[in-house]
Amino acid sequence: MLILSIFLTNCAGVKKLSIFKEEVKRQELNLNTPTPLELENLKWIIITSKNAEEVFKRLEESGIDPVLWGLTDKDFELLAKNFAQIRNQLAITNDLLDKYKQYYEPEVKKNGTE
Amino acid sequence: MRLFLIGIIITSLLGAGAYVIKLQRDNGILKANAIKLESAIGEQKALIENQQKDFKEILEANKKMNELVGVLKQDLENLDKRFNKKNRDVGKLAIAKTEAIERITNGASALATRCIEIASGSPLTESELNATKKSEINSECPGLANPKYIPY
Repeated sequence: MLILSIFLTNCAGVKKLSIFKEEVKRQELNLNTPTPLELENLKWIIITSKNAEEVFKRLEESGIDPVLWGLTDKDFELLAKNFAQIRNQLAITNDLLDKYKQYYEPEVKKNGTE
Repeated sequence: MRLFLIGIIITSLLGAGAYVIKLQRDNGILKANAIKLESAIGEQKALIENQQKDFKEILEANKKMNELVGVLKQDLENLDKRFNKKNRDVGKLAIAKTEAIERITNGASALATRCIEIASGSPLTESELNATKKSEINSECPGLANPKYIPY
């Protein structure tokens, strides 16, 4: 009877519940934000068949080599549009970078180290 | 015979006692399990809340990104319009009004240069931030440079 009791009590045992938690946090990348560009302003000179001589004379008088790189009005338009597209791409890429940083490293932003 | 009966009774009592002790022990384990489960449920709730918060952030980030793309696209379309507005021919204008067009081109070039600086992360100045009128904005990229400007 004793053996039977011991046998029964051991068979009907309740197992301890174990919950495992494992959190391995990745190191934050924390790269410095690239320094914003500081660009030089350039000067455009418009040359037509009428003012060409005058423009070159003015350049010589100012001590600047009388040579110019030229664009037609259509190419100037294309250049402006190309730059606008590069600018837009730069803005989108920077914004994307900011959003990733805000999402994955919000603490860094709060600490003002971003 | 009597001894045998006494033996059975003692054995039964011992067995019953052991069973009660075992039940008490099980009860303790079950209580501990219930507490663990409750805390696990709490943690799961917190996890779900965090996930919902993350989803909201993702949606918000996507929305803002789409807005930015739209604004930049608009700036590009406006540039195209400025060159070709009402069949405008910039070349002919430059021949007719060389100095004026040169001045306008240099002004626009300086503004476009500033646009690239802003796009690369340069902070907006006070005047850029507060610009609301056409005369105050950076006409090359108001979407980037003048957040308070509403086209009219």
